[in-house]
Amino acid sequence: MAPHDLRRPFKRAAISDQQRRRELSLQRQAQHRRDAQHQARCLASFLNPHSDPEPEPETTPEPE
Amino acid sequence: IASIEIPKKQWPELIASLLTNMTHQDRPASLKQATLETLGYVCEEISHEDLVQDEVNSVLTAVVQGMNLAEHSPEVRLAATKALYNALDFAQTNFENDMERSYIMKMVCETAISKEVEIRQVAFECLVSIASTYYEKLEPYMQALFELTSNAVKGDEEAVALQAIEFWSSICDEEIELQEYENPESGDSEPPNSHFIEKALSSLVPMLLETLLKQEEDQDQDDSIWNLSMAGGTCLGLVARTVGDAIVPLVMPFIEANISKQDWHCREAATYAFGSILEGPTIDKLTPLVHAGLDFMLKAMKDENNHVRDTTAWTLGRIFELLHCPASGFSVISSDNIRQVLSVLMESINDTPNVAEKVCGAIYYLAQGYEDAVPSSSLLTPFLTEIITYLIRTADRTDGGDSKLRSSAYETLNEVIRCSNVAETSRIIEHLLPVIMNKLEQTLQLQIVSTDDREKQGDLQASLCGVLQVIIQKLSSTDETKHIILQEADKIMTLFLRVFACRSSTVHEEAMLAIGALAYACGPNFENYMREFYPYLEMGLQNFEEYQVCSITVGVVGDICRALDDKVLQFCDGIMKHLLNDLGSNELHRSVKPPIFSCFGDIALAIGEHFERYVSYAVTAMQQASQICAQIDVNDEEFMEYGNQLRRSIFEAYSGILQGFKNSKPEVMSPYAPHLLQFIELVFLDRQRDESVTKAAVAVMGDLADALGPNTKLLFRNCAFYIEFLGECLQSDDEQLKETATWTQGMIGRVMVS
Repeated sequence: MAPHDLRRPFKRAAISDQQRRRELSLQRQAQHRRDAQHQARCLASFLNPHSDPEPEPETTPEPE
Repeated sequence: IASIEIPKKQWPELIASLLTNMTHQDRPASLKQATLETLGYVCEEISHEDLVQDEVNSVLTAVVQGMNLAEHSPEVRLAATKALYNALDFAQTNFENDMERSYIMKMVCETAISKEVEIRQVAFECLVSIASTYYEKLEPYMQALFELTSNAVKGDEEAVALQAIEFWSSICDEEIELQEYENPESGDSEPPNSHFIEKALSSLVPMLLETLLKQEEDQDQDDSIWNLSMAGGTCLGLVARTVGDAIVPLVMPFIEANISKQDWHCREAATYAFGSILEGPTIDKLTPLVHAGLDFMLKAMKDENNHVRDTTAWTLGRIFELLHCPASGFSVISSDNIRQVLSVLMESINDTPNVAEKVCGAIYYLAQGYEDAVPSSSLLTPFLTEIITYLIRTADRTDGGDSKLRSSAYETLNEVIRCSNVAETSRIIEHLLPVIMNKLEQTLQLQIVSTDDREKQGDLQASLCGVLQVIIQKLSSTDETKHIILQEADKIMTLFLRVFACRSSTVHEEAMLAIGALAYACGPNFENYMREFYPYLEMGLQNFEEYQVCSITVGVVGDICRALDDKVLQFCDGIMKHLLNDLGSNELHRSVKPPIFSCFGDIALAIGEHFERYVSYAVTAMQQASQICAQIDVNDEEFMEYGNQLRRSIFEAYSGILQGFKNSKPEVMSPYAPHLLQFIELVFLDRQRDESVTKAAVAVMGDLADALGPNTKLLFRNCAFYIEFLGECLQSDDEQLKETATWTQGMIGRVMVS
């Protein structure tokens, strides 16, 4: 086994900006995918007005 | 060979014959030395379960006896100690037994005070490894271990002292991890936290503080150095994270006594101590100290000693990272002192490269504090032009030696742009765009005569593509500023294509990330660039070796699908071929595979009924992957996370495909519906499923009913689980999940009454 590497990060920032850019891109893409699928679902309901899928509201909040 | 044959029981006589070399007195020392090395390597490779316990015991006895001072030469003892280091995992059963463990520990501790420095060093390496592997067994030995390590830190050779400090750093690592998993309500954890650091604190901290005074003159200029003061300060930082507030009163007197002394070693050590303990203690404990010390720190940026200025700039960065969070209502920065702080930073960014790099870090965290802090983000706005000018000037410096300072300057620029208030700063960023484009253009005209030139060109292009990505993303995030990107899109894209044409994969990754952002900004107009860009897209999808490039390219395919919609069809044969190849490859890193399934959904949603030609290949791959999900070991946390990603992405693929087919050829998906419902049921039955998986699962159930309509009536009727699943989702506190479940309920309800 190679000897244990003693070096630890020294006076350095823990996150790399490149990693941050990758993660932010992934977040943006995931958000746009959700939006696109969400839009497809709304559009689908809109295109079939005769079989309106409008869901019943779950429960009406009772006044306290 | 042993690592292959022993687990298969194909070399049963090996261990006995090696042991004979150790037990016969007449065998030469060189043979014993070689035997111990072999035993160490074998133990490292195999599991203790591959041998019967008697053999395991005999191997360890031979190794530990080889460390015996009275019986063996230094060479044999060194080989034995190294063998024990390699065999520590193998000794698992023996560490469970009190007597055997104590015997091993006694031998290691004795060896740690051997006459020979190399043997002492390896013995301490064993203790470091034992600290992390057998933390929960250490209690009875801690007093002895404290004395042993303390003597080593104070008086032994540096190589040994570094291991002694590492022992305590490893204990901190263990206790920090235990605290992360601790249940704050019950107050106990499994396995138990022995709080060794807390118990040793009053002796440990002074020992570490002493090491801080042992700096070397040029340690900040030379990346290869690792010495006592660096290890000591790093350990002090870990101790602070382990015990929190309790460290502060133990360190403050040292800081106060040394911060103004004539000798730079003292001033630097005091500053380093302060910077090191900023993570761990509470904000309440630290805020008054930082407020009291901030002025002093700003003045110390003019200290005559470079080393002191370097550590001061780093400490300022830590202060901004940890104690400057306007969004949460606390910050050491206010409208009263921001001008002074920035003026010091702008002046010090012209300091030597090592100091300038730390100043960049400080500006990075100063800007980061204003992310999500809408009203106070304006605090930085009046200074933004100046900050950007200084950062660009720093990036242009030629005295950096390597490109570290330049990268730091550009990365800081990225954070400054990302965290700026777009409404207030869009004009400034608009003016920055041509400056960066111009710089990228210049890199394409550089004369390249050596590999070193090429590497530097690549690093610079990567940094500049990074900045462009951030600018594109920032300005395309609002309708008011998007036009700035659209106006320049042709020129930007031309630059990226030229970068692709001349560069290797590191730059490809950065350019690809930027192009994803540009595709989103351009929408359907991105089609103009596709002919020229497509070959590079293919290259990215085939880059198995640098899997990050492949992964990012898969994400960009999704961006392009959403931008181009059905106009992407002309490129889909090639794209699908590569994506399916990627899925079938054992060479490609597994993390790329879930995004590929999500990408199937993106493609299908964009091209609708035209996905029919790919559907059997895509769904077969999805079905195979869903079988992998069913076999996941619930005890393997990393694999569980991967399983969640895979499930979510398979559902996203089905959602995109179902919605894509819905208006023209929904029947294409009918044969796959039963399998999909079975898979959803399997996921539903997993009580540990991630919430994001639940959301995707409930959405795809609605998509199935929505797309296939009455054809799914019988299917749903035979799958009673969906009622319970929907019930569970409708009870959730997550509004988004409730909304999706409500929609799905509506879709299935419509099918059931049809």
